[in-house]
Amino acid sequence: MAAEQVLPAPKPLNQAPWFAPVRNIVILLVLWEVAGRFHLVADGALPSLTAIVERFWADRADYPAHVWSTLVSSALGFAIGNIVAVAAGILFVLSPLAARLFRGFNVTIFAVPTIAIAPILALTMTGISPRVTLAAMGCYFVTMTATVVGLTQIDLRSADLVRAYGGGKWDVMRFVQLRSALPIILAGLQVAAPNAVLGAILAEFGGGGRWGLGIYLLGSLGRADPPRLWSIGLVATAIAGIAYFIFGLISARVTGASKAVTMTTSLPPAGARTGGQWPSLAVAFGSIAVPLVLWWAFIKLLGVPEMIGKTPWGVIEYLFFLPLSQQAQTRLLDAMGQTLPITIVGTFAGLAAAFALSVSSRLVPNFTRALMPVALFSQTMPLIATIPLFVLLLGRGWLVTLIITISVTFFPAFITLAQGMKMTPRAALDLPKAYGAGAWTELKLVGIPAALPYLFAAARLTVPRALLGVMIAEWLATGKGLGNLLNQSRGYLDYGMIWTVAAASVVLSVALYQIVVLVERRVLANMGMRGSE
Amino acid sequence: MAGAGGIRLSNVSKAFVARGKTIEALRDVSLTCEPGSFTALLGPSGCGKSTILRLALGLEHADGGRVEIGGQTSEKATASGLTGVAFQDSALLPWRNVEDNISLPLDILKRDRREYSAKIAELIQLVGLKGFEKSLPGELSGGMRQRVAIARSLVTEPGVLFLDEPFGALDQILRRQMNIELQRIWTETRCTALLVTHGIDEAVFLADRVAVMRSRPGRVASMIEIPFSRPRSPDLFSDPVFHKLCDGIAEVLHGG
Ligand SMILES: Nc1ncnc2c1ncn2[C@@H]1O[C@H](COP(=O)(O)OP(=O)(O)O)[C@@H](O)[C@H]1O
Ligand SMILES: [Mg+2]
Repeated sequence: MAAEQVLPAPKPLNQAPWFAPVRNIVILLVLWEVAGRFHLVADGALPSLTAIVERFWADRADYPAHVWSTLVSSALGFAIGNIVAVAAGILFVLSPLAARLFRGFNVTIFAVPTIAIAPILALTMTGISPRVTLAAMGCYFVTMTATVVGLTQIDLRSADLVRAYGGGKWDVMRFVQLRSALPIILAGLQVAAPNAVLGAILAEFGGGGRWGLGIYLLGSLGRADPPRLWSIGLVATAIAGIAYFIFGLISARVTGASKAVTMTTSLPPAGARTGGQWPSLAVAFGSIAVPLVLWWAFIKLLGVPEMIGKTPWGVIEYLFFLPLSQQAQTRLLDAMGQTLPITIVGTFAGLAAAFALSVSSRLVPNFTRALMPVALFSQTMPLIATIPLFVLLLGRGWLVTLIITISVTFFPAFITLAQGMKMTPRAALDLPKAYGAGAWTELKLVGIPAALPYLFAAARLTVPRALLGVMIAEWLATGKGLGNLLNQSRGYLDYGMIWTVAAASVVLSVALYQIVVLVERRVLANMGMRGSE
Repeated sequence: MAGAGGIRLSNVSKAFVARGKTIEALRDVSLTCEPGSFTALLGPSGCGKSTILRLALGLEHADGGRVEIGGQTSEKATASGLTGVAFQDSALLPWRNVEDNISLPLDILKRDRREYSAKIAELIQLVGLKGFEKSLPGELSGGMRQRVAIARSLVTEPGVLFLDEPFGALDQILRRQMNIELQRIWTETRCTALLVTHGIDEAVFLADRVAVMRSRPGRVASMIEIPFSRPRSPDLFSDPVFHKLCDGIAEVLHGG
């Protein structure tokens, strides 16, 4: 009897690892079909799968031109953005000073709510270049960061060996760093691919033109035709998902051949944080100046008329030194007052939910495992294509904004946290249990502290996304806040306001990001940990 | 061969600052290895043996004192291809196969690999890896990887050879074999060799002189001449005089 009790319960037969996810997806699809058939969700806003497929089939002649147009601009942007990103990453690793000077630029590119600059690019550029630019911007930060991480996290002994034969920085780069960074860069490309699609669609949205999934979506928004919106959204998601999948395959192949065989034990060289003799104040100033100078140069180089293209000074003038400045200020502040609270509340709610769920994932591991494929899938959904669907489901009130914000925060945060916590050593998690601690004590002592750095990483990742989500919702649905002000100003050809809203939303986003960074440093330093920023 | 050069460290000091604390790795160390000589560095873990090698190779910079290889600065000597090195860990590039890993120094020094193809084949034979030329490091055992690293250290036909516990990962039998092989190679090439090791017997068997180091701060405590004539046969390992010498060094080493 006793011997029988210690035996593990026999596993059900044919329980392949893919079984549970596939089963969950099938259940989900069936539920979807049923809900759609009987108009169970929001009075038919969620059509049945078959209705969507039927609609897609009826519209099939429309798709090739739109899809092709989006594909071309995303692919071009993907190529350009990633080439620039890898080059920048290499530069930043070779020159710490450049890395510090461009920090402001990098954070700006990362945090910029794409929707805010789509109209600006449409004003200042022609043809498909706005789309290519936004697609490239969507790739830049992800790939640049991946390149820097990949190039810095090398096996230091190999670098020593190259230097021991008189090799310089460039030789180390050539023989060791580039190749060993390849898997991480490829992982970056994998994330960048759906971003490029999202960027291109966003630009189509804000720009106009005839072809492109964004145009198609915009043109279909007015009609009460949920199945068509869903089918466009799903096609966009499929494109992004396929791009994600392809790069996933490539990176899996490369990674297999380059796993290090032993653990490195050498320390990174002391005093790595040097920018030469440059005083840090000058560098900090330069870091703020770089994006502004680039903005200015962008206007000047493109030769945009002063009336349409505003320089940084043009925006300041518009806000402070013109007869109508007072009024402009009021409108801007009002809009910010509407956008900011919901962004913050939504982000907190999304992060809190992700944190609670991932921390307690040891209590309900099955639920977490079931959620993971959904979370990963949601990462490839182009926001712009899904937000109209949210609007269909939830109407045009504040609720839709809040839910969108929560959803754009929750899923990436959950993935970051879940993947991060996988790296917490098992032994550390098991130790409290070995001393008879209950689940709650274990969480308090180990689970939560171990998850904190990842929570902050997730917050940094999601705060700009949340602002983007809120602004798109405002633009498309609620008629409030910065998103709406931007859309209105476009309609009135109020160029000063377009630039002002764009600049204000970038500043807002960067400020929120910086606040997270500061809190992160504070909290983690108090706990004797180091963040990843 | 590039012609054996001497190694000269004069009054070298080196301190590390790690997390606010200063560690004096070396204080006022002087060490001279004549061209063509074989010197072994023995000492407890953390006494600064690797630091001496890293200073000599220009991987670290001394806080005080001078370092010269073949009458040149370390940077010049290494960049001219005078030196060869094998670290304690094989530090192979995981994406290069055995042959390509052995050729890495040639690539760094921008030498034509084809001129060395016979040399590479000979070295692979020497370290007993024939048939594994195209294998990736991940497919080799720890001992095999270490032998690749040793072959790699010899590929440039260095005039000055630095070895940092190169046989640490090998089992006793293989270690003996490699000791004997190393002696043979060294006798043929007559390069200047500096070997860091934990094994007293290995040091005595191979070296002309054994430098015994002490830690905190790291320094050379005594220099012991090894009188045995060359070539030394493997029988030496079981010679009573050999053992007596080893015991004497062990005493110095353990604070006698
Ligand atoms: N990069 C480094 N940063 C901080 N301390 C170091 C570094 N390299 C070596 N040390 C310290 O210097 C001392 C000597 O190290 P090392 O030369 O590696 O010793 P050995 O090779 O004799 O075992 C040790 O106390 C070690 O901790
Ligand atoms: Mg050592």
